[in-house]
Amino acid sequence: MSALVLLSVVGVLLLYLGLFNQRASLAVTGVVGLAGAIIVIAAGWHLESPLFGAIVRFDGPARAFSLLMAGATVLLFLFGVDYYARMQRNVAEQYALMLFSLIGGILIVSFSNLVMLFLGIEVLSIPLYILAGGKRDSFRSGEAAFKYFVQGSYASGFLLMGLALVYGATGSFDLATIGSWSTDPAHGHDAIFLLGLLLTLAGLAFKLAAVPFHFWSPDVYEGSPTLITAFMSTVVKTGAFAAFHRLITALQLPDAVGTMLLTLTVLTLFLGNVVALRQTQFKRLMAYSSIAHTGFLLLALLGGDARSGDVLFYYLTAYTLATVGLFIILTLAKRAAQGDEHIRIFRGLFREQPWVAVAALLMLLSLAGIPFTAGFVAKYRVFLLGLSSGHLFTTLFAVAMALLGIYYYALVIREAFAPREQEGGTLAVAPLNLLVITLCGVGVVALAVWPVALP
Amino acid sequence: MIAALLLLIPFVGALALLLLRPAQARPIALAATLASLAVVLYAWATFTGGAITHLDLAWADAWGLRLTMGHDGVGLLLLLLTGVVFPFIVAAGYGQPEDRPATFNALLLFTQSFLYGVFLAQNAVLFYIFYELTLIPVFLLLLYWGGEHRRSITMRFFIYTLLGGLALLFGIVYLLVQNGGNGDFAALAAMDLPAGTQQWLFWALFLAFAIKLPIFPFHGWQPETYHMAPLQGTMVLGAVMLKMGLYGVYRLVLPVVPAGTAYWQDTVIVLALIGAVYGGVIAFRQSDLKRLVAYSSLSHVGLLCAGLFAGNAYGIGGSLYQAFAHAILVLCMFYIVGAVQERTGTTDLRAMGGLKNAAPRLAALYLLVVVNAVALPLTQSFVGEWLMFAGLWQVKGWYAFLGLTTIVLGAIYVFYAYQQVMLGPGRDGPAAADASMRDHLVLVPLIAITLLLGVWPGPVLDLVDGPVLQLLSGLTAP
Repeated sequence: MSALVLLSVVGVLLLYLGLFNQRASLAVTGVVGLAGAIIVIAAGWHLESPLFGAIVRFDGPARAFSLLMAGATVLLFLFGVDYYARMQRNVAEQYALMLFSLIGGILIVSFSNLVMLFLGIEVLSIPLYILAGGKRDSFRSGEAAFKYFVQGSYASGFLLMGLALVYGATGSFDLATIGSWSTDPAHGHDAIFLLGLLLTLAGLAFKLAAVPFHFWSPDVYEGSPTLITAFMSTVVKTGAFAAFHRLITALQLPDAVGTMLLTLTVLTLFLGNVVALRQTQFKRLMAYSSIAHTGFLLLALLGGDARSGDVLFYYLTAYTLATVGLFIILTLAKRAAQGDEHIRIFRGLFREQPWVAVAALLMLLSLAGIPFTAGFVAKYRVFLLGLSSGHLFTTLFAVAMALLGIYYYALVIREAFAPREQEGGTLAVAPLNLLVITLCGVGVVALAVWPVALP
Repeated sequence: MIAALLLLIPFVGALALLLLRPAQARPIALAATLASLAVVLYAWATFTGGAITHLDLAWADAWGLRLTMGHDGVGLLLLLLTGVVFPFIVAAGYGQPEDRPATFNALLLFTQSFLYGVFLAQNAVLFYIFYELTLIPVFLLLLYWGGEHRRSITMRFFIYTLLGGLALLFGIVYLLVQNGGNGDFAALAAMDLPAGTQQWLFWALFLAFAIKLPIFPFHGWQPETYHMAPLQGTMVLGAVMLKMGLYGVYRLVLPVVPAGTAYWQDTVIVLALIGAVYGGVIAFRQSDLKRLVAYSSLSHVGLLCAGLFAGNAYGIGGSLYQAFAHAILVLCMFYIVGAVQERTGTTDLRAMGGLKNAAPRLAALYLLVVVNAVALPLTQSFVGEWLMFAGLWQVKGWYAFLGLTTIVLGAIYVFYAYQQVMLGPGRDGPAAADASMRDHLVLVPLIAITLLLGVWPGPVLDLVDGPVLQLLSGLTAP
C-alpha cells in the first residue's frame, strides 16, 4: 500500500519538476522514490497484506515480482540520464509515465480479484501507448504507438469479455472463490467458464506476446524509443507473466485450457526462434528473441508445479538483467553508427571497449543459455520442470529450439568480437551507463552462482 | 584442496593476464601452467587408488547441482594429461606471431581451468557446466586468431558442438528427473533404467561425445576447424578437448546406460572404424601438412572410440591409455607443423622438400615423432594400440583387422609427409635455421615421455586398471 502511494506521489512530483524545468533532478528523484518503494516492499517480505478491501493481496510472490520490476525500472532510470540528455521537451513525462506503468505492474502481480487484474492491465498499458510514441517527430514511433494502442485495445476487449463470462459462470470476481468453484468436479465442463477462461488467457497472452498474439511486438519494439522497448520487454513482460501465473495456479484448469497452453507454448517456441534466425536488425532480433523466451517461460508454466513460480522468477530476473544491458549497449552502438540498427554496428566493439564487449558477451551467452550464466540455470530449470511434469516431447522440442537460439545470439557475439572493417564513429560510454552495463554483466554470472528463491 | 588449486591456478592466472595486461604474457602463462602441473604431479604421487573426493559442498540441491569434485584413476590420468599438455602448448606460442598475447594466453588458461573442472566433476550437472564452458574460450580463440574463413567455420564448430551439448543436457535432465534429482555419477551408475529407455537415451548422452571426438559421420566440423585454427588452438582441440569425449563416454555412457551401450555397440564400433579408415585414406590424399595431421587425428580418434566401445578390459584400458599417448603425439605433430611453417612459410607439401639439409636436428626429432605416430614397438602408441586391437579382437576378428589397416594407412601418410618435407632436393629461398633451443625444450621432453612410457607403461596402466575392472564388474553384475 505505502509503496503504491509512494510511487504515485513521486510520479506526480516528477511532473511538477518537469513543469519547473528541473531536468537535472528528474532521474535522481525517480531513483530515490523507487529505492524507497523497494525498501518498503522488502521490509514486509514475510507479511501478507490484503489491500483495498482484499482485491489486492500482497504476498511473497507478489513482493518478489514487484521488487524485480522496480529494480529493472531503477536500472532504466539510470540509463535514462544519458538517454534523455538530448531530448528537449517532455522528459519529466517519460519518467512519470514509466512510474505509473510500474504501478499497474505491481497491481497485476498482486491481484486477488479479477476486477483488479483488468484495472492493473489498463494502468500498465495506457502510459505505454503514450511512451511508445515518445519520439514525436518519428514516423516509426508514431506507428508503433498506434499499433500498440489498437491491438492493445482489442486485447483488453478479449480480457473484459472473458472476465465477464467467468463472472457469469462462477458468480464472483474473487480469485479464491473462483478457485474453489473450479475444483468442484461438477463444474469441470462448464462451457461458459471455459470460454471465459480462454478469452481471459488470450487477452493476457497478448501482453506476453505469445504466438499467435504476438503480431504487434516486432513493430512496436522496433519503433518505440529504445529505452521504452527495454521497459516493455522487462517490466511489462515480468508483470504479465506473474499475473498469468497467479491466475492459472489459483484455478483448477479444464483440460481444454491445458491444451491451449501447450499449443501456445509450442507455437511460440517455434515461431520466436525460427523467425529470429533471419533477423539482421538488432531490435527486431530482440523482439523475436523476447517471443522465444516467452515460449520457454510458458513451458515452465505448463507443469502447474508448485516450483514453477520460483523458476519463473529466476528466469525473468536473468532475462531482465541481460535485456536491459544489451539495450543500453545497442543505444550506444547505434549512436556511434548514426542510427543504424543492423547487428554489424557491434563490429569492433571488443577492440574499442573491451569491458563492454565482455559484458555483452556474458549477457548474450546468458540469453542463449550457455553455462556459467544465469540464463543457463534458468533454461536448465525450465527443462527440469518440463520433464518432471511429464512433457517429454515438448521439452525435447524446446531443447531443439534452444539450439536455434544459440545460433542467432552467437551471430551477434561474432560481430562484437570481429575487427571493424571501416572506420566509424567512436563508441562513447558515459560512466553511469558503464555502471549499469557492469551491474547487468556481473549480475548474470552472480545469479548463476547464488540461486535466488521466492519466499 | 587439490581440486581448488587446480581450478584456481589457471583461472587466477588468466584473470591476472586480462586485468594487468603485462607486456610479457607468455612467461606468466607458462608459470601458471607449470604450477598446476606440479599440483597434478603431487596428486599423482600421493594417489593410492580408489576414488577420492576432494570437495563436496551443497550448492543448489533443489535442482540437482552439488559441488562434488574428486577423481579416480581414470580421472587422474586425464588431469595428468591436461597438466602435462598445457605448458607445452603455451611454450609453442613462442614461435607464433604475437597478436594480443595477454588475451590469447588468458583464454588458454581459462580453457585449462575449465578442463580441470570437467575431469574433476563428480556430478553430472557440474560436469555439463564445465563441459560447455570449455567451448567459450575456444570459440573466442578461433574467432579472433583463426585463419581464413574463420567466421563461418567457427560458427559451424560452435553449432555442431552445441547440438551435441543440448542433447546431452536433455539426457542429463532426464536422468535427474528419473533419479529424484540426484545427479552424482555414482548414483547415476547405480540406476537401473528399462532397456527400451536406455536405447534412445544412449544417443541423447552419446551424441555430444560423438561430435566432440568426432566419429564418423559427426566429423563435419573437424578438419576445417583444425586447419583454420591458430596452431595452439588446434593443439588444445586435438590434444585435450577431444579427450573430454572419451572421458564422457567412460563416465556417463558406459556405466549409466549399459543395456543401451550393448544394443548400439556394433553400430558405434563400425562407424568409428569407418571413420578411422576414411580419415586415413583422406589424410593420404592431402597436400597440406596441417590438414593431413587433422585427418590423421580423425583416423586415430576413430580407433580410440572403437576400442572404448569394445567393452572389455583390454579395449577400454587401451583406449584410455592411448588417449594420453595420442595427446602427446598430437602435440608433437602440430608442433612440427608449426616449426616447418616457421621455416618454409607454408604448410603446402608440394612447395616443400629438402629441409633436412638445412635442419638435420629438426629432421631427427621429426623422425622420432614419426616412429611414435606409426606405433612402432617400444613407443607409447604401440602399447595403447596393441591393447585396443586385443580388445577389438575379442569382440569380432575383423574389427581388429579393420583397425590394423589404419596402422598401415598411417605409416603411408606419415612417412609420405616426412618425405615431402624433409627429403629430396632443397627449394630455393632463404636458408632455414636448424632446431632451436626452444624446439629442443619442447620436443625432447615429449619424445622422452613417449619412449619412456613405451618401455615402461606400468605407472599409467595401473591408474586405469582398477577403475576399468570396477566398471566392468558393475556392468556384468546385474
